Amino acid sequence: MKKVLALMLTSAMIVTTFVGCGNSAAATEPAATTAAEEAAPEEEAAVDSTAEESVEETTAETSAEDVYDHTALENAGDITLTMMLSGTETEDDFDTKILPELVKAKWPNVTLEVTKLPDDNYYTALKTKLASGECPDMILVQPKYAGANGCYNLASAGYLAPLNDMDCMSKIGNLSESFTLDSQIYGIANGVSILGTYYNKDMFDQYGLKEPTTWDEFLNVCKTLKDNDIQPITMGDKDQYVLQFGLYQLAAAEIYSENAAYDDGLYTGETAFTDAGTWDHVLEMYAELYDKGYIDGAASMGTGSSQAIQQFIDGEAAMTFDGSFNVTALCAEGTAGDFARGYFPLPGDKGVLTAEICAGAGPAISANSKYINECKELLDYWYNGESEIWDAYVATGKYTVTYGNGSDSLNALFTPFVDLMDAGQGYYWCNQAWPSGVAEEMEALFYEHVGGQGTTIEDVTKGMQFKFEDLSEE
Amino acid sequence: MKQKKKRGYSIIYLLLIIFCLVIILPLVIVFSSSLRHVANQSSPLLLFSELSLESYRKAFQNMNYPLAFLNSLMTTTGSVAVVVIIASMAAYPIARIKTKLARFLYFFFIAGLVVPSQMAIIPIAQMFGRLHIPNTRFTPMIMFITCSLPFSVFLFTGFMKSVPIEVEEAAFLDGAGLPTRFFKIVFPLLKPAVTSVIITQGLWIWNDYFYPMVFISKRALYSLPVCMVQFLGDKENPAQWNVLFAACVLCALPLVLMFMILQKQFVNGIAAGAVKG
Amino acid sequence: MNKKKSLVFSKKVYAFLIPALVLFLTFWIVPIIQLFYYSITNFNGTNYNYSFVGLKNYIRVFQDGSLINACQNTIIYTALIVVFSNLLGLGIAMLLNTEIRAKGIFRTCAYMPALFSAIVVGFIWSYVYMPGNGMLATLLSFCGIDGNKVNVLAGFQSSLYGIAVVDIWKNFGTTMIIYLAGLQTVDTSLLEAGKIDGCTEWQLFRLVKLPLISATVTINVILNVIAGLKAFDYSFIMTNGGPGKATETLMFVIYQMAFVEQKMGRASAFSVVSFILIITVTVLMLIYMNKKEVEL
Repeated sequence: MKKVLALMLTSAMIVTTFVGCGNSAAATEPAATTAAEEAAPEEEAAVDSTAEESVEETTAETSAEDVYDHTALENAGDITLTMMLSGTETEDDFDTKILPELVKAKWPNVTLEVTKLPDDNYYTALKTKLASGECPDMILVQPKYAGANGCYNLASAGYLAPLNDMDCMSKIGNLSESFTLDSQIYGIANGVSILGTYYNKDMFDQYGLKEPTTWDEFLNVCKTLKDNDIQPITMGDKDQYVLQFGLYQLAAAEIYSENAAYDDGLYTGETAFTDAGTWDHVLEMYAELYDKGYIDGAASMGTGSSQAIQQFIDGEAAMTFDGSFNVTALCAEGTAGDFARGYFPLPGDKGVLTAEICAGAGPAISANSKYINECKELLDYWYNGESEIWDAYVATGKYTVTYGNGSDSLNALFTPFVDLMDAGQGYYWCNQAWPSGVAEEMEALFYEHVGGQGTTIEDVTKGMQFKFEDLSEE
Repeated sequence: MKQKKKRGYSIIYLLLIIFCLVIILPLVIVFSSSLRHVANQSSPLLLFSELSLESYRKAFQNMNYPLAFLNSLMTTTGSVAVVVIIASMAAYPIARIKTKLARFLYFFFIAGLVVPSQMAIIPIAQMFGRLHIPNTRFTPMIMFITCSLPFSVFLFTGFMKSVPIEVEEAAFLDGAGLPTRFFKIVFPLLKPAVTSVIITQGLWIWNDYFYPMVFISKRALYSLPVCMVQFLGDKENPAQWNVLFAACVLCALPLVLMFMILQKQFVNGIAAGAVKG
Repeated sequence: MNKKKSLVFSKKVYAFLIPALVLFLTFWIVPIIQLFYYSITNFNGTNYNYSFVGLKNYIRVFQDGSLINACQNTIIYTALIVVFSNLLGLGIAMLLNTEIRAKGIFRTCAYMPALFSAIVVGFIWSYVYMPGNGMLATLLSFCGIDGNKVNVLAGFQSSLYGIAVVDIWKNFGTTMIIYLAGLQTVDTSLLEAGKIDGCTEWQLFRLVKLPLISATVTINVILNVIAGLKAFDYSFIMTNGGPGKATETLMFVIYQMAFVEQKMGRASAFSVVSFILIITVTVLMLIYMNKKEVEL
């Protein structure tokens, strides 16, 4: 009996705890809680207005002087600047090891603290830090809407400082477009990033294969390899984002080369993911690779992205879809030795060659930073195209730069892509124009499809459209 | 009869040995691989085919081990110490006073157990912002302490009820005030509960990567599990395994050693926590 | 009686509560209340220019298909870890509660995994499950089965079971230790008496031991139920919800909603609904188990 009573009390109490927490709390701690609760909305408003103010201030400043204080760092005294990036650390990591050392050497009074977290953890840490008002001075932002650290979202919420007055902007030029909102630039493009198809040239030569220029040729290449017992393509599908690496190449060739304003149309309702001959077509083409075993779905879905890279350099597969940012890892020596690599854009059905090439995610400055000018000076030095930091940054081989030292010695693998871009056939990565979450939905549904879960291609496009409408509504 | 019993025991031994081998196998492989050269990619199942500390040296460097270890140690001991004191204090009135309010508070604390921290992290962070608490070494500790409260209060209350009121009454008659009675008489009698709280809460605090990851902005302040987060990209790359495994061993080693030394306390502490409740 | 108590314990004793209560309210309860508040807004987690949307988020909770899938996964996951943690834990505890030697070693082996951080466990099991070079694949190839075909985390049917195994591996040791403590409190004279009455081992277990450790069973089941309903770590570290949505648990979906899709308001509504769900399940389980306890 006692127990039953206790239980009833528990449930009653728990329910009251959650329904009427405020009351109970107020009973014991009246001053503290009510004050905190009441203060909450007001202070949020306050935080908000300060964010806005600081944005306004800086804008006012820039229009008045047109230059920021270029000696801010020298006069700052001993300061610590913080920076948070996404990614995993490599040996002798540029961001976390070399960069802080070079900054220290240039300005002995400045300490740069760089932290780096894997993507998902980075999003969480960033949001938490924004919410607690502890945003690092510099953070990594992605172009447009891409990811949870999309530049547009952060800028429109007032978290980013405009960078129009920075010297490096004139050198970066058009690439800044993806970081520009209402004619204010909020981020620095880390060169260009490319999505393409890496291939093992030695294997291609062995079977007399050439870089394909149409989709049929590409399928033939795969078939020849497969017939010779070589796995044509390896993908790390366990990390579902790798779907974007191959699929977007097709999307550029099939959809965006015909209608460059496709994504704008999504917002106005002129286009939809469910339009026949657009994404359904592209997804079907890509799914064909799984149907024919050119990508071994059963194996790839248990394979991580870094493992897939390893398989490629070990010569266990002839091709892999990946980005320019992974070029160092893909050109490292594996058990297959130092074979020749090639890189081509996936051709479309109609033989149109397009390149998935766009501004890479880069640093931005927090609007609430105490050291906005100091950060600008630091970044300007970094991105001036000739400083020691710039040289070390280019030397990582991860970034494809368009100006300054290193731009002329462009990795030969990337030349065709840059040429395509110059010819007006370069397209940004699709998810940059979509609200964060659409690409994730596409991935989940597509893998259900190739995994034989009864999800049809139509379900995938419908799901994407549904998610898009859902997420883009205010 | 005796023979039957003997046979029964050998079956038990056999079962236990097989079972424990299955459980421990992944750990043994991890340990043996961690003792290989960084580049050795032969099958990890060839146990202890090579003994080298190269991978450890590398992991040690990558993690900045001494610093991370110290951070973990300070955060954990600091948080646990505070939890023991304030949770036992909170349990005192809850256990001693038989009013509805006391009962309510008891369930109020316990209810905190069911809320996962990932859900409330944004409002929690806003609270830090509102109170202008900067990201320092102590910020995650605040959350460690807060999240440990429900279970600890629950445990201390259970134990406190078994401490007879009579001992306090004697002290009361001698003119001892509440603080003296609590700290000098009641608290020393709670030793088993204190062990239990230290072990159960210390374990999760040591192993948690979430709070330090979101509330610390300086690499120099990272604790061991946060350093492990940096290895996430390597987990499916056989070429990086030896170092990764060495890092895993280094991360778990302090707790494993502690467990080996204090096995009895561990076992009693965990059991006491559950049985008393 | 009552008078005496109030003498010994004045109202001042409540002051002992203050430090704990202040922390608990400020950093746990108020944020949770805030979550309730966000659940009726369209807050996106970063932009404070949000507006009220009434119960829209709650309506969405019930329209959204992802909740059904996530609930299914969570229930399967919870059932798996409750059943297997308890069966294994109780089984091993009973074996260890006999007069065998080297108990300490066996206990250490069984409990060892519980000492590891979730992230380390995630690393270790990623290796175990990896196709090709992983432990499972290599062992199976050794037995003549093509290890490359065994790909636990890639299978839509198997991946959820795969991560549940990891959770069980890590946590059954704790369950076992609690059972062991429970079994040690069983009075041996009762068992002797039972034996004299001619009970079989099973009868002894069912009629004597089990009723005596029923409180321990309750606490273990409840702890595992709460752990299962809150499951997040291995979906996050090992599979990222995939393949497809096969390992998306309730907490994972909420997390994804808040941090990737930037729908903090809706995620809050989901959170509120899942609090209520978790509490209801826990309380119902408690009532049911207590009833069982009485019956036994």
